[in-house]
Amino acid sequence: MGIISLEKQDHLYWLGRYSERVYTTLKTFLLGYDQMLDDEGTTYGDVCRRLDIPNIYTSQENFIKIYLFSDRDANSVYSNLKRAYDNAVVLRDEISSPSLCYIQMALDIMEACSGEPLNLLELQRVLDTLLAFWGSVDDNVLSEESRNIMKSGRYLERLDLFIRFGYPAASLARELGKFENRIRRLQEFQYDGGAYQAFVAAVRRGGSLKPQLVNLNQIILRRPS
Amino acid sequence: MQSLVEHTDGINKLLARYGVKFGIYKNQVFHEQLFPFDALPRVIEAQEFAFLEKGLIQRVTALNLFLKDIYTEKKIIAQKVIPEEFVFSSKGFLPQCEGIVPPKNIYAHISGIDLVQAKDKSWYILEDNLRIPSGASYPLIARKLCRLASPETFTRNKVVDNRNYPQLLKELMENVNTGGLNVILTPGRYNAAFFEHAYFAETTGSVLAMSSDLFVENNQLYYRDNGGKAQRVGALYRRISDEYLDPMNFLPESLIGIPNVLTAYRSGNVALINAPGNGVADDKGIYYFVPKMIKYYLNEEPILQNAPTYLMYDEKERLMALSRMDELVFKDVSEAGGYGVVFGRDLDKGGKEKLANLITREPRRFVAQEIIDFIDLPILENGKQVLRKADLRAFVLDGKEIKVWPSGLTRFSRNPDSFVVNSSQGGGFKDTWVLSR
Repeated sequence: MGIISLEKQDHLYWLGRYSERVYTTLKTFLLGYDQMLDDEGTTYGDVCRRLDIPNIYTSQENFIKIYLFSDRDANSVYSNLKRAYDNAVVLRDEISSPSLCYIQMALDIMEACSGEPLNLLELQRVLDTLLAFWGSVDDNVLSEESRNIMKSGRYLERLDLFIRFGYPAASLARELGKFENRIRRLQEFQYDGGAYQAFVAAVRRGGSLKPQLVNLNQIILRRPS
Repeated sequence: MQSLVEHTDGINKLLARYGVKFGIYKNQVFHEQLFPFDALPRVIEAQEFAFLEKGLIQRVTALNLFLKDIYTEKKIIAQKVIPEEFVFSSKGFLPQCEGIVPPKNIYAHISGIDLVQAKDKSWYILEDNLRIPSGASYPLIARKLCRLASPETFTRNKVVDNRNYPQLLKELMENVNTGGLNVILTPGRYNAAFFEHAYFAETTGSVLAMSSDLFVENNQLYYRDNGGKAQRVGALYRRISDEYLDPMNFLPESLIGIPNVLTAYRSGNVALINAPGNGVADDKGIYYFVPKMIKYYLNEEPILQNAPTYLMYDEKERLMALSRMDELVFKDVSEAGGYGVVFGRDLDKGGKEKLANLITREPRRFVAQEIIDFIDLPILENGKQVLRKADLRAFVLDGKEIKVWPSGLTRFSRNPDSFVVNSSQGGGFKDTWVLSR
């Protein structure tokens, strides 16, 4: 299309962020799930702390069920996927029906997994579908600007989560490279200076970053006034 | 055809994947529902379609002339073909549109004409939808999937390709565009037909906008892009009702309209598709007069007939209808979507009395119609074919010339005892095939 409103720009950015939030939290969850089975029921508390979400869960089992699938828990993976859908569904003309399909499919798979007994194996398909979504975006979203807005949201979210989950400095530096690559192409855009520059410098210095020191949400995509 | 039918579930799954849904409010809560698709098509032979095409073009031509007349010279009233009070008491008549002649004199750019076929194979017009008729997207996308599911069905049967609808729509917008973008205005994702708004924006290459993206300045309509730049809009295919379209001219409390868009339209600076004020021509009461309009404006006999209709406004007809309540269906002229339709035979004594009193009190609000025993079409239910009532919404597009889309939305009732086929009432849909020979 090429011509988008501010509102659509916002939806593109948040579609990138929420779809990535689902992807990375789900992937991290599946990696930690095995460990969770053998520990004494404390791992989920650590996840809540890292994600800065209230620990409303009563047990490991309750966490698995509610954090993954509940539509009443605003922080659940399902709720985040629903928000990705809410942003995507109003962008059909911009991201194309084939791309929107993948978000719809991820949501459908997630809903199908939530019945009793829980089917966690199928969650792999949610991850596969989200990867297919990004492949479809590359193929079907004609506007480079729209792709860059989405991907800047995606990589910013990934950076945020990687910091929260304590990913190594090399991973952060790699993701920062992807993020900057997108931002550079959004020539008319800029990021709010101070917080972002401090963050970039910290990543480049290496070493782990403490989430509380970096508030990436302050780094807001905006056009220069 | 068998291979197509065998793929019904697969096609429905793909429709779900494409998000082919419609929204519905139940107890003031929004739900998105899939629109169940039945793979057995309605088939219209070439000769029969040629007849329908001729009749539909005639009807829409007359309705357009009526709209122009009503908002300008009002000759049809002066010559007492239609009673004055009947026109001006219509909820669809908008005094704010008085004197406005839209670009290229086109009022009803997209008309959805609902028809049924009686058991003797004759077609009847049930109602005209000249405001924001919806539904073309469903058979359009279903056809694409059916061809994929069963290509042999389409090589063996010579079915006219219906996938040109977005092209027709785009041409129609270009035809009246006053210079600028083609924009589809949606009230938002919680509108019943949001899927269609977004799908047509995608397939016509138009901009999908909400009212907050649009503004009027110096009597021109603009779309504000993400750089803050104003882009002029030349054609606005608005999918919101007249009363919400412009808070400065219609309902002041509307939050989904564009202030002063009617003023820009009045000045000829933007085309509105369809024209505001069209409701006066698709009022279920005015429907009664459409055959008279055809004779009056075109000096022709109507090719397609109305279902026999009685005006409750006319005392003689009202008394006759109230004495035959069991045999008639009563319709509230201000309702749509299958609401406000009451079959007299379904009411008990108290219910009949209540309805009769209401009709006597508010006669302009109702019409009565003979119940057309329209044909049942086969649909698949749990792997078996059963017969259900079905209607047809034909789409007539008025661009450089008036064209009837060689397809249509066939809606069917899933309830064996019901004549109501609307999606909002739980109905499903079929593709409509027009054979090329």
